[in-house]
Amino acid sequence: MPEDQHGEQYDDAFEGRLAAALRATGGGFDTDRTALADAGRARGRRLRLRRRAAVLGGVAGIAAVGVGGALFVAPGDAPGSRLPAAAHSAAPAASASPGPAAREYTGDEILRALKELLPEGEFSQEEARGTEDELPPSARLVYDDGKGAAAIGLSLGRVEPGSQEARQVTRCPDEVFVPHDSCTTSRLPDGSVLMLFQGYEYPDRRVDTRWWAAELVTPEGRHVSLSEWNAPAEKDAAVSRPEPPLSPEQLKEVVTAGVWRAVVDAVPEPPMPSATPSAPPRASGESVGETLAGLLPEDVEVVGKGGQEGDYAYVVVDDGEGRSLVQINVQHGMADVADQLYGSGETLPDGTRVATRKGNGDDRVAGVVMWTVDTLRPGDDGFRVVISAFNNGAAHAEPTRDTPALTMEELRGIALSPEWDTMR
Amino acid sequence: MRQGRADEYAEFATARAGHLYRSACLLTAGDTHLAEDLVQETLGRLYVRWGRVSRAQNPAAYAQTVLTRTFLAHQRRRSSGERTTDAFPDLPGAADGDAPLRLTLLAALARLPAKDRAVVVLRYWEDRSVEQTADVLDVSSAAVRTRSVRALGRLRELLGGDLAEYARP
Repeated sequence: MPEDQHGEQYDDAFEGRLAAALRATGGGFDTDRTALADAGRARGRRLRLRRRAAVLGGVAGIAAVGVGGALFVAPGDAPGSRLPAAAHSAAPAASASPGPAAREYTGDEILRALKELLPEGEFSQEEARGTEDELPPSARLVYDDGKGAAAIGLSLGRVEPGSQEARQVTRCPDEVFVPHDSCTTSRLPDGSVLMLFQGYEYPDRRVDTRWWAAELVTPEGRHVSLSEWNAPAEKDAAVSRPEPPLSPEQLKEVVTAGVWRAVVDAVPEPPMPSATPSAPPRASGESVGETLAGLLPEDVEVVGKGGQEGDYAYVVVDDGEGRSLVQINVQHGMADVADQLYGSGETLPDGTRVATRKGNGDDRVAGVVMWTVDTLRPGDDGFRVVISAFNNGAAHAEPTRDTPALTMEELRGIALSPEWDTMR
Repeated sequence: MRQGRADEYAEFATARAGHLYRSACLLTAGDTHLAEDLVQETLGRLYVRWGRVSRAQNPAAYAQTVLTRTFLAHQRRRSSGERTTDAFPDLPGAADGDAPLRLTLLAALARLPAKDRAVVVLRYWEDRSVEQTADVLDVSSAAVRTRSVRALGRLRELLGGDLAEYARP
Protein backbone atom coordinates (compact mmCIF):
# COMPACT_ATOMS: atom_id res chain seq x y z
CA MET A 1 0.00 0.00 0.00
CA PRO A 2 1.79 3.10 -1.14
CA GLU A 3 1.75 5.92 1.35
CA ASP A 4 2.80 9.51 1.40
CA GLN A 5 6.48 10.06 1.34
CA HIS A 6 8.23 13.24 2.26
CA GLY A 7 8.52 14.44 -1.27
CA GLU A 8 4.81 14.41 -1.90
CA GLN A 9 3.88 15.81 1.40
CA TYR A 10 3.54 19.39 0.45
CA ASP A 11 1.92 19.29 -2.99
CA ASP A 12 -0.87 21.25 -1.55
CA ALA A 13 0.08 24.91 -1.33
CA PHE A 14 -1.70 25.27 1.96
CA GLU A 15 0.37 22.47 3.49
CA GLY A 16 3.55 24.21 2.43
CA ARG A 17 2.42 27.48 3.94
CA LEU A 18 1.34 25.75 7.12
CA ALA A 19 4.75 24.11 7.49
CA ALA A 20 6.46 27.47 6.99
CA ALA A 21 4.14 29.17 9.48
CA LEU A 22 4.81 26.43 12.05
CA ARG A 23 8.54 26.85 11.61
CA ALA A 24 8.29 30.60 12.07
CA THR A 25 6.00 30.28 15.07
CA GLY A 26 7.81 27.41 16.76
CA GLY A 27 11.16 29.07 16.19
CA GLY A 28 9.90 32.11 18.07
CA PHE A 29 9.75 30.25 21.37
CA ASP A 30 12.95 30.47 23.28
CA THR A 31 14.05 29.18 26.64
CA ASP A 32 17.09 28.63 28.79
CA ARG A 33 18.10 25.25 27.43
CA THR A 34 20.58 24.50 30.16
CA ALA A 35 18.12 25.26 32.92
CA LEU A 36 15.50 23.14 31.21
CA ALA A 37 17.94 20.27 30.74
CA ASP A 38 18.99 20.50 34.39
CA ALA A 39 15.40 20.50 35.53
CA GLY A 40 14.72 17.48 33.34
CA ARG A 41 17.64 15.60 34.82
CA ALA A 42 16.52 16.51 38.33
CA ARG A 43 13.08 15.15 37.53
CA GLY A 44 14.66 12.00 36.16
CA ARG A 45 16.56 11.52 39.35
CA ARG A 46 13.41 11.97 41.38
CA LEU A 47 11.55 9.53 39.14
CA ARG A 48 14.31 7.03 39.54
CA LEU A 49 14.31 7.47 43.28
CA ARG A 50 10.60 7.06 43.51
CA ARG A 51 10.73 4.01 41.34
CA ARG A 52 12.86 1.91 43.54
CA ALA A 53 13.91 1.10 46.98
CA ALA A 54 16.07 4.14 47.36
CA VAL A 55 19.46 4.00 48.94
CA LEU A 56 18.24 6.36 51.59
CA GLY A 57 14.76 7.54 52.19
CA GLY A 58 12.84 10.70 51.51
CA VAL A 59 14.74 13.90 51.41
CA ALA A 60 17.92 12.06 52.17
CA GLY A 61 17.52 9.96 49.09
CA ILE A 62 17.10 12.95 46.90
CA ALA A 63 20.10 14.70 48.30
CA ALA A 64 22.28 11.61 48.22
CA VAL A 65 21.88 11.10 44.52
CA GLY A 66 24.98 13.09 43.79
CA VAL A 67 26.85 10.27 45.39
CA GLY A 68 24.65 7.27 44.97
CA GLY A 69 23.11 8.04 41.61
CA ALA A 70 26.06 6.72 39.74
CA LEU A 71 25.85 3.41 41.44
CA PHE A 72 22.54 2.10 42.31
CA VAL A 73 20.40 0.76 39.58
CA ALA A 74 17.28 -0.91 40.83
CA PRO A 75 15.23 -3.59 39.09
CA GLY A 76 12.57 -1.02 38.18
CA ASP A 77 15.08 0.80 36.03
CA ALA A 78 15.56 -2.05 33.66
CA PRO A 79 15.92 -0.73 30.15
CA GLY A 80 12.95 -2.80 29.00
CA SER A 81 10.64 -1.21 31.53
CA ARG A 82 7.75 0.29 29.63
CA LEU A 83 5.42 1.49 32.30
CA PRO A 84 5.13 5.20 32.82
CA ALA A 85 7.14 6.27 35.79
CA ALA A 86 4.06 7.33 37.66
CA ALA A 87 2.90 3.77 37.73
CA HIS A 88 6.06 2.77 39.51
CA SER A 89 6.08 5.62 41.88
CA ALA A 90 2.89 4.90 43.65
CA ALA A 91 2.12 1.26 43.89
CA PRO A 92 -0.98 1.55 45.98
CA ALA A 93 -2.51 -0.92 48.31
CA ALA A 94 -6.01 -2.05 47.64
CA SER A 95 -7.10 -0.44 50.87
CA ALA A 96 -6.19 2.97 49.49
CA SER A 97 -8.48 2.61 46.50
CA PRO A 98 -10.81 5.49 46.03
CA GLY A 99 -14.42 4.55 46.39
CA PRO A 100 -16.66 5.00 43.38
CA ALA A 101 -17.92 8.23 44.91
CA ALA A 102 -14.46 9.84 45.07
CA ARG A 103 -14.62 13.16 43.28
CA GLU A 104 -11.88 14.80 41.35
CA TYR A 105 -10.01 17.86 42.49
CA THR A 106 -8.84 20.46 40.02
CA GLY A 107 -5.57 22.28 40.36
CA ASP A 108 -7.46 25.43 41.32
CA GLU A 109 -9.21 23.64 44.15
CA ILE A 110 -5.93 22.32 45.48
CA LEU A 111 -4.46 25.82 45.37
CA ARG A 112 -7.46 27.24 47.15
CA ALA A 113 -7.26 24.61 49.88
CA LEU A 114 -3.56 25.29 50.36
CA LYS A 115 -4.06 29.05 50.59
CA GLU A 116 -6.81 28.60 53.14
CA LEU A 117 -4.44 26.66 55.34
CA LEU A 118 -1.69 29.27 55.22
CA PRO A 119 -1.66 32.32 57.49
CA GLU A 120 -2.64 35.70 56.05
CA GLY A 121 -0.36 36.85 53.29
CA GLU A 122 0.03 37.53 49.61
CA PHE A 123 0.16 34.83 47.00
CA SER A 124 1.71 34.85 43.56
CA GLN A 125 3.09 32.54 40.87
CA GLU A 126 0.44 29.98 41.59
CA GLU A 127 0.58 26.71 39.72
CA ALA A 128 -1.14 23.45 40.38
CA ARG A 129 -2.10 20.12 38.99
CA GLY A 130 -5.31 18.35 39.84
CA THR A 131 -6.10 14.72 40.40
CA GLU A 132 -7.11 14.07 36.81
CA ASP A 133 -3.63 14.69 35.47
CA GLU A 134 -1.12 12.22 34.16
CA LEU A 135 1.30 13.66 36.70
CA PRO A 136 0.63 13.54 40.45
CA PRO A 137 -1.32 16.37 42.06
CA SER A 138 0.77 19.27 43.27
CA ALA A 139 0.68 22.95 43.98
CA ARG A 140 3.34 25.61 44.03
CA LEU A 141 3.11 29.21 44.93
CA VAL A 142 5.09 32.10 46.28
CA TYR A 143 3.83 33.23 49.67
CA ASP A 144 4.68 36.49 51.37
CA ASP A 145 3.59 37.05 54.95
CA GLY A 146 5.07 40.54 54.79
CA LYS A 147 8.58 39.44 55.73
CA GLY A 148 9.78 38.25 52.36
CA ALA A 149 8.61 36.09 49.45
CA ALA A 150 8.98 32.36 49.93
CA ALA A 151 8.39 29.41 47.62
CA ILE A 152 6.04 26.76 48.92
CA GLY A 153 5.50 23.43 47.26
CA LEU A 154 2.99 20.73 48.02
CA SER A 155 2.89 17.30 46.49
CA LEU A 156 0.48 14.49 47.08
CA GLY A 157 0.67 10.81 46.31
CA ARG A 158 0.57 7.30 47.61
CA VAL A 159 3.07 4.90 48.99
CA GLU A 160 2.44 1.31 49.84
CA PRO A 161 1.48 1.19 53.52
CA GLY A 162 4.09 -0.52 55.63
CA SER A 163 6.54 -0.69 52.76
CA GLN A 164 10.15 0.25 52.91
CA GLU A 165 9.33 3.27 50.79
CA ALA A 166 6.73 4.40 53.32
CA ARG A 167 9.30 4.21 56.08
CA GLN A 168 11.98 5.91 54.08
CA VAL A 169 9.82 8.87 53.20
CA THR A 170 9.46 9.75 56.87
CA ARG A 171 12.85 8.67 58.10
CA CYS A 172 15.21 11.47 59.03
CA PRO A 173 18.19 11.59 56.70
CA ASP A 174 21.57 10.52 57.93
CA GLU A 175 23.79 13.46 58.89
CA VAL A 176 26.57 11.87 56.91
CA PHE A 177 24.66 12.52 53.71
CA VAL A 178 22.37 15.42 54.48
CA PRO A 179 23.62 17.87 57.04
CA HIS A 180 20.63 19.55 58.66
CA ASP A 181 19.70 21.69 61.63
CA SER A 182 16.84 19.63 62.93
CA CYS A 183 14.78 16.60 62.04
CA THR A 184 12.19 14.69 64.00
CA THR A 185 9.95 11.79 63.15
CA SER A 186 6.89 11.11 65.24
CA ARG A 187 3.79 8.96 65.19
CA LEU A 188 0.52 10.84 65.40
CA PRO A 189 -2.55 9.60 67.31
CA ASP A 190 -4.21 8.36 64.10
CA GLY A 191 -1.19 6.21 63.27
CA SER A 192 0.28 8.55 60.67
CA VAL A 193 4.00 9.10 60.67
CA LEU A 194 5.27 12.64 60.37
CA MET A 195 8.76 13.88 59.63
CA LEU A 196 9.64 17.53 60.18
CA PHE A 197 12.88 18.50 58.52
CA GLN A 198 14.89 21.70 58.67
CA GLY A 199 17.84 21.72 56.34
CA TYR A 200 19.27 23.27 53.24
CA GLU A 201 18.45 23.21 49.57
CA TYR A 202 22.05 22.38 48.83
CA PRO A 203 23.51 19.85 51.25
CA ASP A 204 26.92 21.41 50.74
CA ARG A 205 25.42 24.81 51.54
CA ARG A 206 27.19 26.51 48.68
CA VAL A 207 24.12 28.73 48.67
CA ASP A 208 22.43 29.26 51.99
CA THR A 209 18.90 28.59 50.85
CA ARG A 210 17.05 26.91 53.69
CA TRP A 211 14.68 24.11 52.88
CA TRP A 212 12.15 23.03 55.47
CA ALA A 213 9.74 20.22 54.87
CA ALA A 214 7.04 18.10 56.40
CA GLU A 215 6.42 14.56 55.15
CA LEU A 216 3.29 12.80 56.29
CA VAL A 217 2.36 9.19 55.55
CA THR A 218 -1.00 7.98 56.80
CA PRO A 219 -1.65 4.36 57.77
CA GLU A 220 -3.44 3.94 54.43
CA GLY A 221 -0.36 5.09 52.53
CA ARG A 222 -1.41 8.58 51.60
CA HIS A 223 1.67 10.74 51.29
CA VAL A 224 1.55 14.50 51.80
CA SER A 225 4.74 16.45 51.29
CA LEU A 226 5.08 20.15 51.96
CA SER A 227 8.27 22.12 51.40
CA GLU A 228 9.16 25.73 51.92
CA TRP A 229 12.19 27.86 51.28
CA ASN A 230 13.45 31.22 52.46
CA ALA A 231 13.61 32.37 48.87
CA PRO A 232 10.99 32.84 46.16
CA ALA A 233 12.27 29.76 44.31
CA GLU A 234 13.92 26.50 45.28
CA LYS A 235 17.01 27.27 43.33
CA ASP A 236 18.54 30.24 41.60
CA ALA A 237 16.74 32.89 43.62
CA ALA A 238 18.28 35.19 46.18
CA VAL A 239 17.48 34.46 49.81
CA SER A 240 14.65 36.81 50.79
CA ARG A 241 14.42 36.24 54.55
CA PRO A 242 16.40 34.53 57.31
CA GLU A 243 14.09 31.51 57.55
CA PRO A 244 11.14 30.06 55.64
CA PRO A 245 7.79 31.51 56.76
CA LEU A 246 6.12 28.50 58.39
CA SER A 247 7.36 27.01 61.64
CA PRO A 248 7.57 23.21 61.86
CA GLU A 249 4.37 23.31 63.91
CA GLN A 250 2.64 25.22 61.11
CA LEU A 251 3.98 22.80 58.51
CA LYS A 252 2.47 20.01 60.55
CA GLU A 253 -0.90 21.75 60.64
CA VAL A 254 -0.97 22.08 56.88
CA VAL A 255 0.06 18.51 56.02
CA THR A 256 -2.33 16.95 58.51
CA ALA A 257 -5.36 18.80 57.13
CA GLY A 258 -8.11 16.38 56.16
CA VAL A 259 -8.53 17.78 52.67
CA TRP A 260 -5.28 16.22 51.42
CA ARG A 261 -6.47 12.76 52.30
CA ALA A 262 -9.54 13.31 50.17
CA VAL A 263 -7.41 14.60 47.31
CA VAL A 264 -5.08 11.59 47.40
CA ASP A 265 -8.08 9.28 47.43
CA ALA A 266 -9.25 10.91 44.22
CA VAL A 267 -6.06 10.15 42.29
CA PRO A 268 -6.79 7.49 39.69
CA GLU A 269 -5.16 4.18 40.42
CA PRO A 270 -2.12 3.65 38.27
CA PRO A 271 -2.18 0.32 36.48
CA MET A 272 -0.49 -2.32 38.55
CA PRO A 273 2.63 -3.74 36.88
CA SER A 274 1.44 -7.25 37.67
CA ALA A 275 -1.01 -8.84 40.02
CA THR A 276 1.40 -9.64 42.80
CA PRO A 277 4.99 -8.93 42.01
CA SER A 278 6.95 -11.62 43.75
CA ALA A 279 9.06 -9.94 46.33
CA PRO A 280 12.70 -10.61 45.61
CA PRO A 281 14.73 -11.78 48.55
CA ARG A 282 16.37 -8.92 50.33
CA ALA A 283 19.55 -8.64 52.24
CA SER A 284 19.11 -6.71 55.43
CA GLY A 285 21.13 -3.57 55.89
CA GLU A 286 22.32 -4.75 59.25
CA SER A 287 23.80 -7.96 57.94
CA VAL A 288 25.26 -6.12 54.97
CA GLY A 289 26.96 -3.69 57.32
CA GLU A 290 28.29 -6.44 59.56
CA THR A 291 29.58 -8.48 56.67
CA LEU A 292 31.26 -5.42 55.21
CA ALA A 293 32.91 -4.58 58.53
CA GLY A 294 34.19 -8.14 58.75
CA LEU A 295 35.81 -7.96 55.33
CA LEU A 296 37.67 -4.69 55.78
CA PRO A 297 41.46 -4.79 55.83
CA GLU A 298 43.00 -4.80 59.29
CA ASP A 299 44.85 -1.52 58.94
CA VAL A 300 41.68 0.57 58.88
CA GLU A 301 39.54 1.50 61.82
CA VAL A 302 35.79 1.85 61.53
CA VAL A 303 34.85 5.28 62.91
CA GLY A 304 31.26 5.40 61.74
CA LYS A 305 28.62 3.27 60.13
CA GLY A 306 25.02 3.39 59.03
CA GLY A 307 22.48 2.58 56.36
CA GLN A 308 20.74 -0.13 58.33
CA GLU A 309 17.89 -0.22 55.88
CA GLY A 310 17.35 -2.55 52.98
CA ASP A 311 20.31 -3.78 51.05
CA TYR A 312 22.57 -0.86 51.69
CA ALA A 313 25.21 -0.08 54.28
CA TYR A 314 28.13 2.21 54.69
CA VAL A 315 31.10 2.55 56.96
CA VAL A 316 33.46 5.42 57.53
CA VAL A 317 36.98 4.16 57.98
CA ASP A 318 40.24 5.78 58.96
CA ASP A 319 43.67 4.31 58.32
CA GLY A 320 45.35 7.17 60.19
CA GLU A 321 45.55 9.36 57.11
CA GLY A 322 42.02 10.69 57.04
CA ARG A 323 38.45 9.52 56.92
CA SER A 324 37.10 7.60 53.98
CA LEU A 325 33.50 6.71 53.26
CA VAL A 326 32.83 3.20 51.97
CA GLN A 327 29.39 2.29 50.64
CA ILE A 328 28.05 -1.07 49.60
CA ASN A 329 24.87 -2.33 48.01
CA VAL A 330 23.83 -5.97 47.84
CA GLN A 331 20.99 -6.38 45.39
CA HIS A 332 18.95 -9.12 43.77
CA GLY A 333 17.30 -9.24 40.39
CA MET A 334 19.84 -7.13 38.55
CA ALA A 335 20.56 -9.50 35.66
CA ASP A 336 18.43 -7.51 33.24
CA VAL A 337 20.65 -4.48 33.51
CA ALA A 338 23.88 -6.44 33.22
CA ASP A 339 24.77 -5.03 29.85
CA GLN A 340 24.12 -1.54 31.05
CA LEU A 341 26.35 -2.01 34.07
CA TYR A 342 29.04 -4.41 32.96
CA GLY A 343 29.14 -3.94 29.22
CA SER A 344 32.69 -2.73 29.32
CA GLY A 345 33.83 -4.93 32.19
CA GLU A 346 35.45 -8.32 32.45
CA THR A 347 33.92 -11.74 33.02
CA LEU A 348 35.65 -14.08 35.45
CA PRO A 349 36.02 -17.81 34.73
CA ASP A 350 33.03 -18.62 36.98
CA GLY A 351 30.86 -16.18 35.02
CA THR A 352 30.93 -13.35 37.54
CA ARG A 353 30.95 -10.01 35.79
CA VAL A 354 33.11 -7.24 37.16
CA ALA A 355 33.24 -3.58 36.26
CA THR A 356 35.59 -1.13 37.92
CA ARG A 357 35.82 2.59 37.68
CA LYS A 358 37.61 5.52 39.21
CA GLY A 359 35.57 8.63 38.88
CA ASN A 360 34.42 11.81 40.46
CA GLY A 361 32.52 11.28 43.65
CA ASP A 362 30.47 14.40 43.83
CA ASP A 363 29.73 16.87 41.11
CA ARG A 364 29.34 19.57 43.72
CA VAL A 365 32.56 19.23 45.68
CA ALA A 366 35.81 19.54 43.83
CA GLY A 367 38.37 16.83 44.26
CA VAL A 368 36.15 14.07 45.57
CA VAL A 369 36.98 10.75 43.97
CA MET A 370 34.95 7.58 44.01
CA TRP A 371 36.46 4.18 43.34
CA THR A 372 33.99 1.47 42.54
CA VAL A 373 34.02 -2.26 42.02
CA ASP A 374 30.72 -3.56 40.70
CA THR A 375 30.07 -7.30 40.51
CA LEU A 376 27.26 -9.52 39.27
CA ARG A 377 27.30 -13.20 40.18
CA PRO A 378 26.18 -15.64 37.50
CA GLY A 379 22.70 -17.06 37.93
CA ASP A 380 19.07 -16.22 37.57
CA ASP A 381 18.93 -14.28 40.81
CA GLY A 382 20.93 -11.38 39.37
CA PHE A 383 22.95 -11.04 42.56
CA ARG A 384 24.92 -7.82 42.56
CA VAL A 385 27.49 -6.55 45.04
CA VAL A 386 28.77 -3.07 44.38
CA ILE A 387 31.19 -1.24 46.61
CA SER A 388 32.55 2.28 46.43
CA ALA A 389 35.12 4.11 48.45
CA PHE A 390 35.59 7.86 48.64
CA ASN A 391 38.37 10.18 49.69
CA ASN A 392 36.05 12.07 52.02
CA GLY A 393 34.36 11.05 55.24
CA ALA A 394 30.82 12.09 54.38
CA ALA A 395 28.90 12.84 51.24
CA HIS A 396 29.28 16.46 50.21
CA ALA A 397 32.22 16.91 52.56
CA GLU A 398 35.56 18.24 51.46
CA PRO A 399 38.18 15.65 50.57
CA THR A 400 40.20 14.47 53.55
CA ARG A 401 42.90 12.76 51.52
CA ASP A 402 44.01 12.18 47.94
CA THR A 403 42.62 8.70 47.46
CA PRO A 404 40.20 6.43 49.34
CA ALA A 405 41.54 4.41 52.26
CA LEU A 406 40.99 1.15 50.39
CA THR A 407 42.79 0.21 47.20
CA MET A 408 40.96 -1.03 44.14
CA GLU A 409 42.39 -4.48 44.84
CA GLU A 410 40.98 -4.42 48.37
CA LEU A 411 37.58 -3.27 47.11
CA ARG A 412 37.60 -6.05 44.57
CA GLY A 413 38.45 -8.60 47.25
CA ILE A 414 35.53 -7.42 49.36
CA ALA A 415 33.01 -7.38 46.52
CA LEU A 416 33.99 -10.86 45.33
CA SER A 417 34.11 -12.40 48.79
CA PRO A 418 32.12 -15.64 49.11
CA GLU A 419 30.70 -14.19 52.34
CA TRP A 420 28.07 -12.39 50.31
CA ASP A 421 26.78 -15.60 48.82
CA THR A 422 25.03 -16.37 52.10
CA MET A 423 22.64 -13.53 51.25
CA ARG A 424 21.59 -14.98 47.92
CA MET B 1 24.10 6.46 36.12
CA ARG B 2 27.74 6.11 35.33
CA GLN B 3 29.80 9.20 34.74
CA GLY B 4 30.29 8.58 31.04
CA ARG B 5 26.62 7.95 30.54
CA ALA B 6 25.70 10.88 32.73
CA ASP B 7 27.84 13.17 30.59
CA GLU B 8 26.34 11.74 27.45
CA TYR B 9 22.86 12.28 28.81
CA ALA B 10 23.61 15.85 29.91
CA GLU B 11 25.01 16.67 26.50
CA PHE B 12 21.98 15.21 24.77
CA ALA B 13 19.50 16.93 27.07
CA THR B 14 21.10 20.33 26.62
CA ALA B 15 21.36 19.90 22.88
CA ARG B 16 17.73 18.80 22.47
CA ALA B 17 15.98 20.88 25.14
CA GLY B 18 15.47 23.88 22.89
CA HIS B 19 13.89 21.92 20.07
CA LEU B 20 11.74 19.84 22.40
CA TYR B 21 10.55 23.04 24.05
CA ARG B 22 9.58 24.58 20.73
CA SER B 23 7.73 21.40 19.75
CA ALA B 24 5.99 21.39 23.11
CA CYS B 25 4.96 25.03 22.64
CA LEU B 26 3.27 24.09 19.38
CA LEU B 27 1.65 20.99 20.88
CA THR B 28 0.28 23.04 23.77
CA ALA B 29 -0.70 25.86 21.41
CA GLY B 30 1.47 28.35 23.24
CA ASP B 31 1.09 27.30 26.87
CA THR B 32 4.74 27.81 27.74
CA HIS B 33 4.43 26.65 31.36
CA LEU B 34 2.88 23.38 30.35
CA ALA B 35 5.46 23.12 27.57
CA GLU B 36 8.30 23.41 30.08
CA ASP B 37 6.66 20.87 32.32
CA LEU B 38 6.27 18.44 29.44
CA VAL B 39 9.88 18.83 28.38
CA GLN B 40 11.08 18.30 31.95
CA GLU B 41 8.94 15.20 32.22
CA THR B 42 10.23 13.97 28.88
CA LEU B 43 13.85 14.56 29.81
CA GLY B 44 13.18 12.95 33.19
CA ARG B 45 11.80 9.81 31.54
CA LEU B 46 14.72 9.72 29.16
CA TYR B 47 17.08 9.96 32.10
CA VAL B 48 15.52 6.94 33.73
CA ARG B 49 15.80 4.93 30.53
CA TRP B 50 18.96 6.46 29.20
CA GLY B 51 20.71 3.12 28.81
CA ARG B 52 18.14 2.09 26.26
CA VAL B 53 17.59 5.50 24.73
CA SER B 54 21.26 6.05 24.04
CA ARG B 55 21.34 2.82 22.05
CA ALA B 56 18.30 3.77 20.00
CA GLN B 57 18.97 4.48 16.35
CA ASN B 58 17.81 8.03 16.67
CA PRO B 59 17.63 9.27 20.27
CA ALA B 60 16.37 12.67 19.14
CA ALA B 61 13.38 11.09 17.41
CA TYR B 62 12.82 8.89 20.43
CA ALA B 63 12.73 11.98 22.63
CA GLN B 64 10.14 13.52 20.34
CA THR B 65 8.03 10.38 20.66
CA VAL B 66 8.20 10.48 24.44
CA LEU B 67 7.24 14.16 24.39
CA THR B 68 4.26 13.57 22.13
CA ARG B 69 3.01 10.63 24.17
CA THR B 70 3.48 12.49 27.43
CA PHE B 71 1.50 15.38 26.00
CA LEU B 72 -1.33 13.13 24.85
CA ALA B 73 -1.48 11.29 28.17
CA HIS B 74 -1.64 14.62 29.95
CA GLN B 75 -4.44 15.81 27.67
CA ARG B 76 -6.42 12.63 28.17
CA ARG B 77 -6.43 13.14 31.90
CA ARG B 78 -7.04 16.81 31.59
CA SER B 79 -9.97 16.52 29.24
CA SER B 80 -11.78 14.31 31.74
CA GLY B 81 -12.10 17.13 34.24
CA GLU B 82 -9.95 20.18 33.93
CA ARG B 83 -11.25 23.32 32.26
CA THR B 84 -10.21 23.77 28.68
CA THR B 85 -8.83 27.15 28.07
CA ASP B 86 -8.63 29.34 25.05
CA ALA B 87 -6.51 31.87 26.89
CA PHE B 88 -2.82 32.35 26.19
CA PRO B 89 -1.59 34.04 29.31
CA ASP B 90 2.00 34.19 28.19
CA LEU B 91 1.59 35.61 24.79
CA PRO B 92 1.94 39.35 24.80
CA GLY B 93 -0.35 41.04 22.36
CA ALA B 94 -2.90 38.23 22.30
CA ALA B 95 -5.60 40.70 23.22
CA ASP B 96 -4.65 43.19 20.53
CA GLY B 97 -7.01 43.46 17.65
CA ASP B 98 -4.12 43.20 15.29
CA ALA B 99 -2.68 39.93 16.53
CA PRO B 100 0.42 38.78 14.76
CA LEU B 101 0.08 35.73 12.61
CA ARG B 102 1.81 33.45 15.08
CA LEU B 103 -0.94 34.13 17.58
CA THR B 104 -3.57 33.43 14.99
CA LEU B 105 -1.83 30.16 14.20
CA LEU B 106 -1.55 29.17 17.88
CA ALA B 107 -5.19 30.04 18.44
CA ALA B 108 -6.15 27.86 15.49
CA LEU B 109 -4.01 24.98 16.79
CA ALA B 110 -5.66 25.35 20.19
CA ARG B 111 -9.01 24.61 18.61
CA LEU B 112 -7.91 21.26 17.26
CA PRO B 113 -8.32 18.11 19.33
CA ALA B 114 -5.03 17.20 20.99
CA LYS B 115 -4.40 14.20 18.78
CA ASP B 116 -5.03 16.18 15.60
CA ARG B 117 -2.63 18.81 16.86
CA ALA B 118 -0.03 16.13 17.47
CA VAL B 119 -0.49 14.90 13.90
CA VAL B 120 -0.03 18.42 12.53
CA VAL B 121 3.07 19.07 14.63
CA LEU B 122 4.65 15.75 13.74
CA ARG B 123 3.93 15.98 10.04
CA TYR B 124 4.49 19.66 9.33
CA TRP B 125 6.90 20.74 12.05
CA GLU B 126 8.83 17.54 12.61
CA ASP B 127 8.57 16.62 8.95
CA ARG B 128 7.59 13.04 9.70
CA SER B 129 6.00 10.78 7.15
CA VAL B 130 2.55 9.35 7.69
CA GLU B 131 4.08 6.03 8.78
CA GLN B 132 6.48 7.64 11.20
CA THR B 133 3.66 9.69 12.65
CA ALA B 134 1.59 6.55 13.02
CA ASP B 135 4.44 4.91 14.93
CA VAL B 136 4.74 7.79 17.32
CA LEU B 137 1.02 7.90 18.00
CA ASP B 138 0.67 4.15 18.05
CA VAL B 139 -2.18 4.21 15.56
CA SER B 140 -2.57 2.95 11.99
CA SER B 141 -1.35 5.07 9.12
CA ALA B 142 -4.91 5.17 7.87
CA ALA B 143 -5.90 6.84 11.12
CA VAL B 144 -3.12 9.38 10.68
CA ARG B 145 -4.34 10.15 7.17
CA THR B 146 -7.85 10.70 8.38
CA ARG B 147 -6.73 12.97 11.17
CA SER B 148 -4.43 14.84 8.84
CA VAL B 149 -7.17 15.53 6.36
CA ARG B 150 -9.56 16.63 9.07
CA ALA B 151 -7.01 18.84 10.82
CA LEU B 152 -5.88 20.47 7.61
CA GLY B 153 -9.47 21.17 6.64
CA ARG B 154 -10.13 22.77 9.99
CA LEU B 155 -6.95 24.86 9.88
CA ARG B 156 -7.68 25.98 6.34
CA GLU B 157 -11.08 27.10 7.54
CA LEU B 158 -9.65 28.92 10.59
CA LEU B 159 -6.64 30.46 8.95
CA GLY B 160 -7.93 30.88 5.44
CA GLY B 161 -5.85 33.41 3.63
CA ASP B 162 -3.90 34.39 6.73
CA LEU B 163 -1.02 32.18 5.74
CA ALA B 164 -0.60 33.91 2.42
CA GLU B 165 2.57 35.59 3.57
CA TYR B 166 4.12 32.16 3.84
CA ALA B 167 3.42 31.44 0.20
CA ARG B 168 6.52 30.09 -1.43
CA PRO B 169 8.19 32.64 -3.65
